[in-house]
Amino acid sequence: MRDSELAISIRALTKFYNNLQALDKIAFEVKRGDFFAFLGPNGAGKTTTINVLTGLSNYQSGEVKVFGYDVTAEYLHSRRLIGLCAQESNFDPFLSIYQLLVYQAEYFGIPPWEAKRRANELLERFGLEEKRNAKHRALSGGMKKRLLLCRALIHDPEILILDEPTSGCDLELKFLIWDYLLQLNKEGKTIFLTTHYMEEAEKLCKTIGIINNGKIVRIGDKKQILQDKSLQDVFLEITGIE
Amino acid sequence: MIHQVTNPIGVMALAKREIHRFFSVANQTIFPPLVSSALFMYIFGIAVGSRVNFSAMGLTYLQFIIPGLMAMHLISSAYENTSSSLFIGRWHNHIQEILLAPLSYIEMVLGLLAGGVARGMLVCLGIWLVSLFFTPGSIIHPLALIYFMLMITVIFSCAGMMGALWAEDFGMLSMWNTYVIIPLALLGGVFHPISLLLPGLQIISHFNPLYYMVSGIRYSMTNVTDTPVATCAIVSLGMAAAVFTATVYLFKIGYKLRT
Repeated sequence: MRDSELAISIRALTKFYNNLQALDKIAFEVKRGDFFAFLGPNGAGKTTTINVLTGLSNYQSGEVKVFGYDVTAEYLHSRRLIGLCAQESNFDPFLSIYQLLVYQAEYFGIPPWEAKRRANELLERFGLEEKRNAKHRALSGGMKKRLLLCRALIHDPEILILDEPTSGCDLELKFLIWDYLLQLNKEGKTIFLTTHYMEEAEKLCKTIGIINNGKIVRIGDKKQILQDKSLQDVFLEITGIE
Repeated sequence: MIHQVTNPIGVMALAKREIHRFFSVANQTIFPPLVSSALFMYIFGIAVGSRVNFSAMGLTYLQFIIPGLMAMHLISSAYENTSSSLFIGRWHNHIQEILLAPLSYIEMVLGLLAGGVARGMLVCLGIWLVSLFFTPGSIIHPLALIYFMLMITVIFSCAGMMGALWAEDFGMLSMWNTYVIIPLALLGGVFHPISLLLPGLQIISHFNPLYYMVSGIRYSMTNVTDTPVATCAIVSLGMAAAVFTATVYLFKIGYKLRT
């Protein structure tokens, strides 16, 4: 890994879906070790930004780097460093959840014996041990969320990108995920979180970026942005939502 | 960058997953071609074939169609494996598991290809074993057989991936196999020697690339061919190189894989 102080560096990123401009020359940076909340209304460009970072979307212009590696030209390096916890469950229907995790680790070049050890460890950590031989369709919504998190963590990424990780979770699971994310961040992992729950962003994050209509409208340290207001009030004020 | 192979563990994992997938639905992937081939061998090879005079080629009709059946199922098994795997991956969106991984585009194609090659070869071997119940058989040129099996499975595994990327629904997915590949394979001499056709149709058959593949398998099994085996080998290699390159290119540009 390059000795970059920036986990994410995006400059003048522009993305169109046919004639629809999803991202309009957005630029921002996320420091290594930060806990970054990326907020915005539906359709603002959050998931598109994540897709560009992870290589799931092409883009028309701009520069996107993860720990100094260009996500297009040096994608083999950048992808090793990213763990993505997607918004919706998208698992291979032919595999048990244990097999899913083992294969996922091996795709990242982790030898089979180590992949199995990590899969066992994560299944235990997230209370999925008893379901190890089940297919993902047999899991509850909360269990699927946990499995998404396990899959994102299986290769021990430097940056964890979470696209609404607690949507649809009950309080117990939400607190479990929050605690785990805070612990990971304390251990030095960079965390990039999108969420519609303002209290989640306010509680967990150090830095906040707000995107609206494909443009970054506010970015900075949480304290600077809040200034004694609640994040919800700031968010509504900036995005103009009434 | 697209030509790098830097993650052998990742490629092996993808290949293992593809093989795991078709074994887990063996009732749909392995056994049907064996059953249908056994029926073809009995009905066409024994019931009808015993009345067909094939002595000029030095083979019985049954011995003639066995390599044809092997070639036909090599083609369809390889195509169906990669096309269904990749299309279902797109459909369920679990293709992201691969797209997020540090696999080069050539590695992604190689991993998916491995499933098609393995399934095609397994089915082909099964059909040959089934044929031993009907007629004693030997493989005259085993290395040539491996070569042609490899070329055919590579070509149609790649074709399957291209079909899976192009298709928007399951109907479109099966369209290529139903309307293009199987008809070309049947017209390529699975059940008949080209020399039996009218002169004009013989010329047209030479423009059918699958004819060279069926002929290559038949030569490998029986030493009988109605076209030079070197031509079959070159056409197969050329097609394999072309479709493999095209498939890697489609992965590189993210055709229907990346938004």
